[in-house]
Amino acid sequence: MTGAKIIAATFARLGRHVQTFGDYAAERAGAPVRAYTRVGDAPIENRNKVYRPDHLVILDAALLDEEATAGLAAGGFILVNTPQPPEALAHRFPAFRLATVDATAIARSHDIGTRAVVIVNTTIAGAFARLLDLPLAALTAAYGDLGFSRDLPSARAAHEAVALGPAPVDSAAPAPPPRPRMSVLSLLAHREGRPTGTRTGSWRTQTPRYVTVTAPCSGACPAGNDVVGFVQAVATAGEEAAAEILGRTTPLSAVCGRVCPAPCMGSCSRAALDGAVDVRGLERHVASRASVAVRERGATPTPRRIAIVGGGPAGLSAAYELAKSGHAPTLFDAEGALGGVLHTGIPAFRLPRAPLAREIADVVALGVTTRLGKALSRREIGELPRAFDAVILALGLQKPRDLPVSGRELSGIEQGLAFLHRRNVEGGARIAGRVVVLGGGNTAIDCARSALRAGASGVTLAYRRSRAEMPAIADEVEAAEREGVAFAFLRAPVAFSGNGRVAGVVLAEVEPGPLDASGRPSPVTTDRRATLACDAVLLALGQSADDSVLPEGWTMRDGRVHAAGAPLPVFAAGDLATGEGTVAAAIGDGRRCARRAIAVLEGREEEAAPPERTVKPSEIRFHHFDRRPPTPHVPPASAAAIALAEEDAGLPDGSEAARCLSCGRCTRCDTCLVYCPDGVIARDGAGYVIDLDYCKGCGLCAAECPRGAMEMGA
Amino acid sequence: MSEELVSGNHAAALAATLAARANRGGRGFGSGVYPITPQTECVELLCRLPIEKGHVVRVESEHSAMAVCMGFSFAGARTFTASSSNGLAYMAENVFSAGLYRLPIVMMAVNRTLGPPWNIWAEHGDTLMLRDAGWIQLYCEDNQEVADTILAAYRLAEDRRILLPALVCQDAFFLSHAMARTSLPEQAAVDAFLPPLDLPHRLLPDVPRTIGGLDWPRENEVHRRELHEALARVEEVYGEVQAAFAKSFGRALADPIVPYRLDDAEIVLVSMGTTAATVRAAVDEARSRGIRAGALRVRLFRPFPERRLAAALAGRKIGVLDRDLCPGLGGILWAELRGVPGISPAQGYVAGLGGGDIRPEHVAGILDDLRARSKATEPVFVEVG
Repeated sequence: MTGAKIIAATFARLGRHVQTFGDYAAERAGAPVRAYTRVGDAPIENRNKVYRPDHLVILDAALLDEEATAGLAAGGFILVNTPQPPEALAHRFPAFRLATVDATAIARSHDIGTRAVVIVNTTIAGAFARLLDLPLAALTAAYGDLGFSRDLPSARAAHEAVALGPAPVDSAAPAPPPRPRMSVLSLLAHREGRPTGTRTGSWRTQTPRYVTVTAPCSGACPAGNDVVGFVQAVATAGEEAAAEILGRTTPLSAVCGRVCPAPCMGSCSRAALDGAVDVRGLERHVASRASVAVRERGATPTPRRIAIVGGGPAGLSAAYELAKSGHAPTLFDAEGALGGVLHTGIPAFRLPRAPLAREIADVVALGVTTRLGKALSRREIGELPRAFDAVILALGLQKPRDLPVSGRELSGIEQGLAFLHRRNVEGGARIAGRVVVLGGGNTAIDCARSALRAGASGVTLAYRRSRAEMPAIADEVEAAEREGVAFAFLRAPVAFSGNGRVAGVVLAEVEPGPLDASGRPSPVTTDRRATLACDAVLLALGQSADDSVLPEGWTMRDGRVHAAGAPLPVFAAGDLATGEGTVAAAIGDGRRCARRAIAVLEGREEEAAPPERTVKPSEIRFHHFDRRPPTPHVPPASAAAIALAEEDAGLPDGSEAARCLSCGRCTRCDTCLVYCPDGVIARDGAGYVIDLDYCKGCGLCAAECPRGAMEMGA
Repeated sequence: MSEELVSGNHAAALAATLAARANRGGRGFGSGVYPITPQTECVELLCRLPIEKGHVVRVESEHSAMAVCMGFSFAGARTFTASSSNGLAYMAENVFSAGLYRLPIVMMAVNRTLGPPWNIWAEHGDTLMLRDAGWIQLYCEDNQEVADTILAAYRLAEDRRILLPALVCQDAFFLSHAMARTSLPEQAAVDAFLPPLDLPHRLLPDVPRTIGGLDWPRENEVHRRELHEALARVEEVYGEVQAAFAKSFGRALADPIVPYRLDDAEIVLVSMGTTAATVRAAVDEARSRGIRAGALRVRLFRPFPERRLAAALAGRKIGVLDRDLCPGLGGILWAELRGVPGISPAQGYVAGLGGGDIRPEHVAGILDDLRARSKATEPVFVEVG
């Protein structure tokens, strides 16, 4: 109908008189309909249907038959929406001129229609305009008149793409077949008649199917966790089942359930409704009820001995993956305990040591040899390939970024990580007076909050960007604020003042400049400066890889060490390889690196995961869900404003999981079954079955699927 | 004056909106609407168009739609609604109320076959069912006529000598869904043509009254006579409305009955709505064969323009083509025409029931049948489906 309207509107724009109307019945979307357009030089009085058309446009190639072409004037165009060339159809209709265009593909590439059904009429009208040589200006104006200007590029593409077949070979059109008279049963005789079956499935051009599409949370998880899977398991099968799913990709759920910035929550579809699902809280909840790490070593016919240097999240993850698969990892760490930054950097009020120790113990118990308490020299690292089948370097980012400005040499200025190490590992480190923390990441927040607990009389955190751009977890920033940390945003340190000992930080005002590579406004330092008086400064400006740990002649390329131009069985994992800087990213990379090392040793192709499509927010049907705000966490046991024990007591139970929309995963909610206008969807075992004899492909099921777990396709 | 490519449904909604806005200097506009195929496009557009001092209320049924219109109308607002077929049947009680209350409500009806069994296509039986409701009834042939007739209906309905509701009818799909270039007047011209409504019996907050209470037999016989007399004055006022319409919009408003090649016609076929276009084509074809055929289209059905019809039809052999049926009698237009004095008995033809497409060849057959007849008999059913 819309296609007929566009043609009419285009002719109207050319000053012609037009009339256009549809020949409707009681059908709904998906049923074949006819529409007519008359064009004339005088007002059109004839209101009969069109029985002798000059041209014919077929939107669905399955409808192209003798009945459709009946009455068509000899030499008329038949424009068919099909990927086939006109030559493939021309022999069936020798009296007419065939033209074809794949309007469905063009419309789909222009995103016209719903996710369920491609709408082709605004596209194919462009092809028809080409056949009739209608000026593009008139077509453009007509699209404007009808409010379809957004579809004009697709129409223009069809205008370009339409293929015209050979000239007709017959000069006479075939006589239309006689129209059969419908036999009519008296209303009183209805019991004699049988309902005539119409296999409406033959109308279908698109077929619905059930699909599993990656949920945005899972797609966003740097650790590669099946986020929607474990959350749904909490909701439907319990914490043990959820732990089993998490254990496939991570041994550190108690850790991530506390310290992860949770990109899963940042991409959670539910955020647009009433707040993201508290995935972090749920992961912690699962880890509090069940051990996440698997307890049974896998078996492999060719166990490999792998050295892993660095017992942080990446090294632990690599070791876990290897031990899980039956290999023999040995973990080296300079500290006396495993955990890396989890042990040395993150304060206990955020990550209590008991669950951390338990999860590390679970990894080690799987069959990991540990060599702790001694830093390996470059030479020792260089010798590892001789003693092991492969080496994974998971050293993290060990070189803290410094601030080479005037006054840096003053005492009282310390790297934040060193301060945290003193406090977390050596225990009882104190700091006095007014403390300034420089930086905006989680280390900066940890420094600020630890300083408050270590005796500081006041803490100010200065950051060169705005609050919204802080990489730190927002909840942590809020906690710091609650505890009394002051913030100075858009302030960059340009010098330190003091006599022997630091007495102040000179901060320049920063203005947001043009967007930089990270998509954030680049900080532009101005001349406007002020000095912030202080007694101590903690630098938390980020870290970089320490190249000096690599033995002579080793160079890193694409996460693998090369020497003398040849690749060694030495790989880099975690921050050293990626610089991502989160526990979750380190876990994901540690696992991938372990698999890569094994694949290389076994002479297999390295696995390249195909990019996965994730469910878009526009695919979620929010009207199917009731509003229910996130579950509040249990109030802290301690009433102290600044607690030394873990402040966040976590979720009270797993009920938060019921808020998960299960994006991209069928939950057998029956919406498809309920919405099917033809009642052709039935429950079938664990899913549904669609009766394709009668599914006319209207797409309502896919359009109404609350979670994007259905799609329409050819 | 702007020209737009619109359907009959949209022509009605746009004209109603122009009339609605024209009452912004008065008591504004109010409407209750409920959708039904094939009228839905009309009320959808009405709901979308901005109307100063206007309220369009989406109600739960046609019965309530008319009730809301009556409330608005009693409050002095200009009103509009639209319906079709079984929607009109459900609305019927309040359709009668609106007539009996003498409220100048304008309603657009898309003529659709009453069910069950269900059928959504054109037939006139739904609005003809309401022929005794005290409403003015007008039937249109094309998009332009829909827009023009809606505007004219307000002027007629709101005339102090009339004060009756008006029903403007168009055929399902053939007209309601057919797009054609349609001229729509500027708001200023409509403002001049339709001055603010001043309803003499509008409800006043400081004069509490019960309306529609008990009507004693003596009161009722007077009220009914008044209603009849008011409806009977429509034809006379219609001429004035035509003159005002032409002055305001520079275009003629079609006559209550529209003759075609009637001057020397021996046989004439009478019809309503879009069928008339097909009849004209058949008349031309018959004339090309030397048959002195003519056609007459009835636009104004209530009041029934008896004297005009008598003048136009006297001395000719008459056939009536009804797209409707009064079971047990025949076509309703034919039945009405039989009572017109001074014309020969008309032959009735019933065709296009259930929305069948009455094509020129069907009408040619009817004209041949009519020409061959020596006298009128019982109605002839012409099956076109």
